[in-house]
Amino acid sequence: MDVLQFALRKLLAGVPLLVGVTLLSFTLMVYFGPDKTYELLGKNSTAAQIAEVRHELGYDRPFFVRYAEYLRELATLDFGHSDSTGAKVSTLLARSIPVSLALELPGFVLGNLLGLALALTAAFHRGRWPDKLIMGVAVVGMSVSFLIVIFAFQIWFCTSHGLNWFPVRGWSAAGPLDYLAHIAVPTLATVFVALGYNTRFYRAVIVEEMGRDHVRTARAFGTPPLRLLWRNILKNCAIPIVTRVMFTIPSIVIGGALLIETAFGIPGVGRVTYEAIISGDQPVLKAVVGLTASLFVLTLLVTDILYRAVDPRVSLQ
Amino acid sequence: MAGVADEPLLSVRDLAIEFDTLDGPVRAVDGVSFDLRCGETVGLVGESGCGKTVTGLSLLRLVPEPPGRYAGGSIRFGGRELLALPEAELRALRGRDVAMVFQEPMTALNPVFTIGSQLTEVLRRHRGLGRREARVQALALLERVHIPEAARRLDEYPHQLSGGQRQRVMIAMALSCGPRLLVADEPTTALDVTTQAEVLAEIRRLQGELGMAMILVTHDLGVVAETCARAIVMYCGVIVETNATAALFAQPRHPYTLGLLQSVPRVRETRLAELPVIPGRVPDLRSLPPGCRFADRCPRVSERCRAEEPALTPIAGGGQVACHHPQP
Repeated sequence: MDVLQFALRKLLAGVPLLVGVTLLSFTLMVYFGPDKTYELLGKNSTAAQIAEVRHELGYDRPFFVRYAEYLRELATLDFGHSDSTGAKVSTLLARSIPVSLALELPGFVLGNLLGLALALTAAFHRGRWPDKLIMGVAVVGMSVSFLIVIFAFQIWFCTSHGLNWFPVRGWSAAGPLDYLAHIAVPTLATVFVALGYNTRFYRAVIVEEMGRDHVRTARAFGTPPLRLLWRNILKNCAIPIVTRVMFTIPSIVIGGALLIETAFGIPGVGRVTYEAIISGDQPVLKAVVGLTASLFVLTLLVTDILYRAVDPRVSLQ
Repeated sequence: MAGVADEPLLSVRDLAIEFDTLDGPVRAVDGVSFDLRCGETVGLVGESGCGKTVTGLSLLRLVPEPPGRYAGGSIRFGGRELLALPEAELRALRGRDVAMVFQEPMTALNPVFTIGSQLTEVLRRHRGLGRREARVQALALLERVHIPEAARRLDEYPHQLSGGQRQRVMIAMALSCGPRLLVADEPTTALDVTTQAEVLAEIRRLQGELGMAMILVTHDLGVVAETCARAIVMYCGVIVETNATAALFAQPRHPYTLGLLQSVPRVRETRLAELPVIPGRVPDLRSLPPGCRFADRCPRVSERCRAEEPALTPIAGGGQVACHHPQP
């Protein structure tokens, strides 16, 4: 019951944050965003024509009326039609979000799990060769540009210059094999880069925890290594780990992987966003920005509740 | 047990422990030997950095390796050589035959598990108890160390308890499997003065009740006087003097022991202008003098002290001292 109350309180506290975030994105993206008047009218238009088009587009309405309209759109998830394709924005998102999720979830999960496993290995052999090897590879993963990794992997895995195992571009999830063939290389590239950052981060967190007094106490009472790892180390590292994992979620759900989707020609949200930016497609952009911001606020809330679940010292008050 | 009746419970011989540092290996413990009989209490006394804590940790093979290393000697416990014991057997021994109480009750317990969970964990592992049985035992243990509202405390987390109560939990955990040897590393140092006395009395009472041997690692001579039958004084990784506590306090033979005793603040009849201190500083373990390690600070120093390291030799009336010119 306490937790439910806590969640409700957090939800209420999230309202001002949501207002702030949407207000900011509205002001920057919509109010001061691209003006389509001249695009529609061309040069040499009269003042009367301009006023008429501005009225049609709703540009002449007061700031807060337009902001309220934006909030209504966010709440009903009805963002009108895309300027460039004429398709309904909600349909566009409903089609591309699952693609992004299907594309990125495997890489996200693998990148974190492998990162954690490598970090644990490195931390347990601190200062010896497994540690040095793992951390060396991690630094390489972090240092090489993502774009270079993508191109290198494409050449290696997808062309006749290398293994030529997978399709170089495109998307299909018709069957499991089809799906795996299309996500294989993007996932490898994502994991290669994410692993560098994740491993370094997790290793630092784990090494710090391993030096704590309670770990020594557990050893003094004969705790076997796996039990020590679970009860003393991972459980106590949960807060930084949860934080890192949670805050990646909004950007993979809505943000998509812009680079990956563009390079591999995959019709996910990242690509939709990229195209909307290029063509100044405002209805799509305000949907993406607004939803990302709202999802961040929601994530913040869920993360706060998760903190309480993993660490009893976090107070419910 | 009949055959080993003569053998002491714990026998440490020429123990040497090194730590790797950037300047090369450093010997934190350099040739320490002592025995402990069943039920005996011994105080391991010295300044910080003298090797007493490392010695205490080594009795459970808990010195972190690396950077630490057992460079020589032997630790025999109950007829077994601890330095040769495989990790699995060490785990079975830790907390069951040899238990340890640590200095910092604030951080020594796992913050994300309840007191009950941490106590039952040890009971289930070492005594093979079932979940319910272990909980009953855990409750009994908390009551035994006089924690008020023990039943409620079982479901609380360490941060909900006071420092003194946490140390009591630590003690309950250490005693949970009836160890034959308890190593207590500064068990009262981090506590308030009033709590210190209570916790110390608790340890003394339980030690007597359970008949276990105890090594009390401390810098506090008052604690040793109250608790231990025998005291071992360490300086710079070596034992400089050992004797029955009463004899050691009545007639300290090593100049360092004397200095330690004189520098204990106490309520005196006449107010001293200044508390006596031992002059000079502890030498750097990386560049020890060739002779006696205490020579530079010693009022009785001679040429011989600077050239030749004194060995621990028996003295009249029991005890041993490592000094060329012991106090009469």
